[in-house]
Formats: sequence, C-alpha cells, structure tokens
Amino acid sequence: MSRSEPSPVRDLPMSRPEPARSDEAPAPTGEANPIRDAILEAIEEHKVILFMKGTPDAPACGFSARTVAVLQALDAPFAAVDILPDPRIRQELSAISNWPTVPQLFVDGELIGGCDIVTEMYESGELAQALL
Amino acid sequence: MVEMPSPEHIKQRIEAAIPGAYAEVEDTTGGGDHFRATVTAPAFEGRRRIEQHRLVYEVFGTEIGGAIHALSLKTQTPLKPPTQ
Repeated sequence: MSRSEPSPVRDLPMSRPEPARSDEAPAPTGEANPIRDAILEAIEEHKVILFMKGTPDAPACGFSARTVAVLQALDAPFAAVDILPDPRIRQELSAISNWPTVPQLFVDGELIGGCDIVTEMYESGELAQALL
Repeated sequence: MVEMPSPEHIKQRIEAAIPGAYAEVEDTTGGGDHFRATVTAPAFEGRRRIEQHRLVYEVFGTEIGGAIHALSLKTQTPLKPPTQ
C-alpha cells in the first residue's frame, strides 16, 4: 500500500495580515507583497503543486476535481493550495504564471497548464514522464 | 457595453486575432459562459501546448474568468501536406 497521499499546503500565510516587524527595514523598492512571495515560495518548495478551487478531498469546481483525479490516477504526490479563501491569491497567481484560469499545475517550478493540458498530457503519457 | 459571449462571437474573435486560425466553439452548458474551443492554426507550429493556449487566452484578456467563466481549449497545427 504505497499509495501516495496528496499533501495539502495548509500553512501559507496567504490571508493573514503581515506581522509587524519593526526590526526589519522596509523593502527598498515597491511594496511588500506577502501573497506573491508565499506563492513563489510554495512553487519553489514543492516539486508538484496544484493551485485549485477547494481541496483535493473537496474540490469546489469540476475542472479542479478532474485535475486532482488525474494526479491521483498517476499516484503522484502533490501539494495543493486552495485559492478560494482570498481573491488576491488568484490575482497574484495569474500575474506570476501569465495564465488566466484555475486550476494550475506546476512541476519543478514551471507551469504545466490547467485541466485541459493536464488531461491531454495524461492521456498521451507525457504527464507521467513529467512527474518522474 | 459588454455583449454576452456566444460561440459564434468567440469563434470570430479567435479567427480574427490569430492569423490563419480555424476555430470550432461550443457552449458546453448552454448558459453563455462555459465554452469549449478547438483551434487549428499555423501560428501554433513550434510552440509548446501551454504557449498555444496562451495565444488563444490572450485574445480575451480579462474576459476569461469574467464574462467567460471557462474556455476549455484544444489546440492543434494544420495537417502538413505530405512531403513530395
């Protein structure tokens, strides 16, 4: 029974206010963007990470559900981020990825695509290759 | 004024924006906001699938996720004529 369970990322500080940190100098240029930083960090830290509506156990959209099903069909371990709790997550994610819709699957730091591409790549065997 | 998108409207916009493109578009729910498009275009040649989809999404900008809730895509390049 070596089925790998998805490992949802639950502790991203996405919707928490910035903690006050008087010991730190303000960022020299632009404004601090903790949501963007948290997304970038999550993408970097997880080999396979899915940004979705809802959670793997309770997807809130058919496209997210299908993408989760494909990953589970391949027994691929993946991290998951629910974008619904804070609309800024979706905004920042799309700004980073230049991709307008959710779900979005990243492998090795790179956007693979949404439900259509992931499904097509699953059917052609390319996804299994990409997840190795 | 924002027109409610129709499959025909989406087809025309894709074909107008991407040179040589041919698009088949259907409304998957009948609600005027979820669509599926198959787009064939020479411009896709040599591009990864994700870039092909980006080309199509760029036609609609922020309408994707707005008036157009979902645009499911399949992209392909035209069949090459057999060589000699």
